[in-house]
Amino acid sequence: MTDMSSIQKACKNYEQDLVLHYYGESSPEERERIQAHLQGCPSCSRFLDELRTVLPLTVKADEPPESFWESYSRELRQRLMTAREKNAWWEGIFSFLRPWTVPTLATAVVLILAVTLTLTRGTWHTRDLPPKEEALLEVLPIAENLEFYTSMDFLDSLDLLEDMGGADSGSA
Amino acid sequence: MGTGRPEELGDETLVTLAQKGEHKAFEELVERYKQKAYRIAFDFTRDREEAKDLSQEAFLRAFTHLNGFDQRASFYTWFYRILVNLCLDYRRRGQRVSWQPFEEHDGKTAEKNEIANPGPSPDREAMSGEISRKIGAALNSLPPKQRTAFVLKNHEGLSIREIAKIMQTAEGTVKTHIHRAVLALRQSLAELV
Repeated sequence: MTDMSSIQKACKNYEQDLVLHYYGESSPEERERIQAHLQGCPSCSRFLDELRTVLPLTVKADEPPESFWESYSRELRQRLMTAREKNAWWEGIFSFLRPWTVPTLATAVVLILAVTLTLTRGTWHTRDLPPKEEALLEVLPIAENLEFYTSMDFLDSLDLLEDMGGADSGSA
Repeated sequence: MGTGRPEELGDETLVTLAQKGEHKAFEELVERYKQKAYRIAFDFTRDREEAKDLSQEAFLRAFTHLNGFDQRASFYTWFYRILVNLCLDYRRRGQRVSWQPFEEHDGKTAEKNEIANPGPSPDREAMSGEISRKIGAALNSLPPKQRTAFVLKNHEGLSIREIAKIMQTAEGTVKTHIHRAVLALRQSLAELV
């Protein structure tokens, strides 16, 4: 394994320029400047040579066979067709819900409700309960609180007894 | 399509026609860019099936959002942006596929090749597999933006300006990403020099 310290270092202020130079991304003036520098700088020349060796190694192009591309296109056409059908379905819904259809539908619903309520007004009545059931409904909450009232009465009696006791002791 | 054969039309015309519902126009765009799209996706995934899925998904998304594409950028810049974002999402999800020689992935191809050509010796094959694995690992260790800029430059040969448009960033930033990626790879692959 190569020692990391042995990696060729370029002049710091030329490093990025050399990378871009390798990719042919320097302007004519920059190219001239770099060429001139390379002639007098073995470190930068070596750095550039290393880029020429290492970087092409990183490209690993895949060359699938013709059958792969046939199935690729076929599959994609199928997926596109499904997407189109889905789009058409949504478009159908959206075309139904065009801006003018929403208020129109809402108005129609309100009108129908209004007409229905007006026409059926006479038939609307509250449920009449027989008098017995009505009385029971009134008594029920009182019955539920009966225990509470009883305990209150008991406390009142205690107060009364206490008062009486107090009066007796006072007179004695 | 009344305006001529799809393969003779420019991207802009094809996009306009596809936006009007001409299915053939979009299919022509697919034919035009499928190999490049696949290659970029492969650079990220290193897996044939994953690259196929990702590139097809990019076409599907482009198709679904085509009506929102205003053609201010070129079709391929817009499309590559969709693709690169999908590839980055793929990496973010952590689905890193190990670097495998294709022969290992596709048994049938390997078998056919073996019959036609005895190929390199097992030692050499193992060495080449090891180098491939190291390069794959080195690429995988790059931060996503550095890797994107590097792949688009080094593998696809796009210009800095095009990459900046695809990545929606400044040209200076792309240069920095490429520079850092190259230095990191050089360091990781020093033993191969």
